[in-house]
Amino acid sequence: MDFKLTDGVNLHVIRTTQFKTNQILINFNTVQTKTNITARSLLADLIETSTHKYPTQTALARQISSLFGAYVGTNVARIGNMHALRVRASFVNDRYSMPGLTDQVIDLLHEMIFHPLIDNNTFDEPTFKLQLNNLQSSIKSLDDDKQFYAAMQLRDLYFADHSLLKIPSFGQLTDLPQISAESLVQTYNEMVNSDQVDIVVLGNVDVQLIVEQFRRFEFKPRQEIKQELFYHQKLNKEPRETSEKQALNQAKLNLAYQLPIYYQEPDYSATMVMNGILGGSPLSKLFVNVREKASLAYYASSQHIAFNGMFSIQTGIQSSNKVRVQHLIQEQVDAVRTGDFTDELMQEVKDGIINQYETGLDVSSNVIEQTLLDKITRTHTESSALIERIKKVTKVDVIRVASQLEFQAAYFLNGDLN
Amino acid sequence: MDEQFYQHLNETIYSKKMNNGLLVQVLPKVGFHKTYAILTVDFGSIDRTFMPVGKDELVTVPDGVAHFLEHKMFEKEDHDAFDLFGQLGADSNAFTSFTQTSYLLSATGHIHENLDVLLDFVQEPYFSASTVEKEKGIIGQEIKMYDDDPNWRLYFGLLGNLYPKDPMHIDIAGTEESIAQISPADLYATYGTFYQPSNMNLFIVGNVDPVQTVDWIEQNQATKRFAAPTSPQVQFELNDSEGNDVIPFRTLEMDISRPKVMVGLRGLDQIESGMDGLQYRLTVELLLDILFDDTSDNYLRLYNNEILDDSFSYNFEMQRGFHFAYFSSDTNQPERFSDEIISILESATQQIETATSQFENIKRAMLGRMIGLLDSPEAIANHYSGKLFGGANLMDEITALAAIKIDDLYQIVPEFVQSQGISVYQIVPRRD
Repeated sequence: MDFKLTDGVNLHVIRTTQFKTNQILINFNTVQTKTNITARSLLADLIETSTHKYPTQTALARQISSLFGAYVGTNVARIGNMHALRVRASFVNDRYSMPGLTDQVIDLLHEMIFHPLIDNNTFDEPTFKLQLNNLQSSIKSLDDDKQFYAAMQLRDLYFADHSLLKIPSFGQLTDLPQISAESLVQTYNEMVNSDQVDIVVLGNVDVQLIVEQFRRFEFKPRQEIKQELFYHQKLNKEPRETSEKQALNQAKLNLAYQLPIYYQEPDYSATMVMNGILGGSPLSKLFVNVREKASLAYYASSQHIAFNGMFSIQTGIQSSNKVRVQHLIQEQVDAVRTGDFTDELMQEVKDGIINQYETGLDVSSNVIEQTLLDKITRTHTESSALIERIKKVTKVDVIRVASQLEFQAAYFLNGDLN
Repeated sequence: MDEQFYQHLNETIYSKKMNNGLLVQVLPKVGFHKTYAILTVDFGSIDRTFMPVGKDELVTVPDGVAHFLEHKMFEKEDHDAFDLFGQLGADSNAFTSFTQTSYLLSATGHIHENLDVLLDFVQEPYFSASTVEKEKGIIGQEIKMYDDDPNWRLYFGLLGNLYPKDPMHIDIAGTEESIAQISPADLYATYGTFYQPSNMNLFIVGNVDPVQTVDWIEQNQATKRFAAPTSPQVQFELNDSEGNDVIPFRTLEMDISRPKVMVGLRGLDQIESGMDGLQYRLTVELLLDILFDDTSDNYLRLYNNEILDDSFSYNFEMQRGFHFAYFSSDTNQPERFSDEIISILESATQQIETATSQFENIKRAMLGRMIGLLDSPEAIANHYSGKLFGGANLMDEITALAAIKIDDLYQIVPEFVQSQGISVYQIVPRRD
């Protein structure tokens, strides 16, 4: 059920008795800019640290803990050209905890969103400094996860010069010095007053009470976002290739292709099936031929991001096998393009996608995420229709989609401890 | 078939022991699309010295055999179990820990056929010299990948301090050298000894009819012949049960951006298995929450002094034959971190007194988190620890947790927290 709270602020309630927990997701969407990504990432950290009523981290943590072990927190994400700041809560249903728990959680979300620790137009300085340091450290530490590091390097290589998508959704170190406790108040005001807001509530709840509770939130009317949601970029004339050496036991070879097919477009289902055949499942060509048969890799997989048109392949290999692996990957891509795969494989991949989709309906956080995507992309598809679309994908569809793959970038992280 | 209804949690569990000794438990979930099943063998990486079934002398197999066996179970002479699950639209996987090996499946349809595939591939071994050789390449890559993961190195570095001469300090997958020695004969010997139905249990959660499901399994088992059950004889004795072998401190250099530190506390007390063991585990978990969770004064003080940050985590692990707690963070002040954690542990009794007012809140939060797990078929099934906790399931755990009093925390401190069991492992950025 959908309710408009004011212009640009919508509430969606899904009443179900399937779960013993309730979920609330409040999504603030805005067009990403060169300066707002890192600032919003830091803002998300400050919002979950303290508020006026709960001015220390411990005071807020104790309040959350008193709510029967509720999870209440924030995170940031990216959907195409949009940057999303999310406030999320997950907590035990009143029936299995105590009467009034849902109301108390919503009160706390209100406090966090409307009463952050801002006085005289500045965030509390010690809290700000500490969270700034923490964000800096955590961004630095991400480089220690080599699989993640290689994926980030590939993105940087793939996206066009000056593309905002080079900036990770959690921000970048070089932006941090430009952010102050005062400037972040500006970021906060924009978020709370101008962002497009979607609230999704799921659980065994009283719908009327939920609507009344959220009507109390002091959201002002705001304009709907007009900018195109999906990200597009021109093809690079020549593929970009780089390599780097680090003291590692396992090398990483990651490849990027452009595949300009977007979420819920006519070929979207065929793209999911194509990905499943090429590298998106344990039955896939990459998994079977690179990992299982040739024993060349511990992992070899592919993924497609349906909001920015990037298709990538990642492998963990021995440095000395790089040329062989790259060749073998190319063979798998060519095989899919020419329809060199069995009907059985395609059927199994389809069944696997449908199985994954249906099992996703049993995970409440997944259901609210899907609902949110539907609202943001203004698409809504019944489960049965989605499953039908997957079933209808033909070999010709898969070949058509695969033939649109354009090789764009290769990143090689060379390990020399072998 | 036994049936137990937990009224306050609105869940019912059904269980039946098959004639061959396999324990089957079913928890139906109304409204769910998925069915999750996990078949667990009471056998893990530390069970390397044992009496092979039908023999009268102990053998020691190379490190990593349990995990190797898990990988190799999927591959048969003329097919791969992955493909069979694929044809039935199911997801399947497996994992090995120190003391157990589990095979699992998740599916929305063809549940009967999927359960047959699960039981059949785990109960019909096929190992050949050539498939064993090939697997060494794949597992070798897996070991290498973990070697580059600083958090993994930190964890096993600490285990190397806590249990320097016990098998827990060795990677569950073994080492490149140890897996090179694995032969089909090793796999058959371990398989025959540990993969007996009486040493296994099957836990099913989801959209199923319990009576029908148990019938299916009985039919499947009736088609197979098993040797008379024997109880696997494993030799597992700690090198030094008093912990005189604990290495207090080691450090490692790696290419990382900030130092990482982990403080470990090895339990030197002997714990009964069964419900007492479960009670012990829950009490220690509450103790750690009261000392260190983000509602504690300790956490705020260390956080504000930048001795720890959001990467801070702690955990208590209790498995067959050993138990320990660990505390870790990325920090620019690794020495201060370990000093502070150790001093909080050593003054645990006073710490509980200071935080008494927090006890009910912390216990309620833990109860809430556990009730939340009832929404996850995986969590319900994976929580089952068999004999270790006397066959207790997640609902039993929730009931046991609700009964714990603050006095239990006071009692457990002198048993669990002993200075002899404390150790520190650091990973610091490599100097150029």
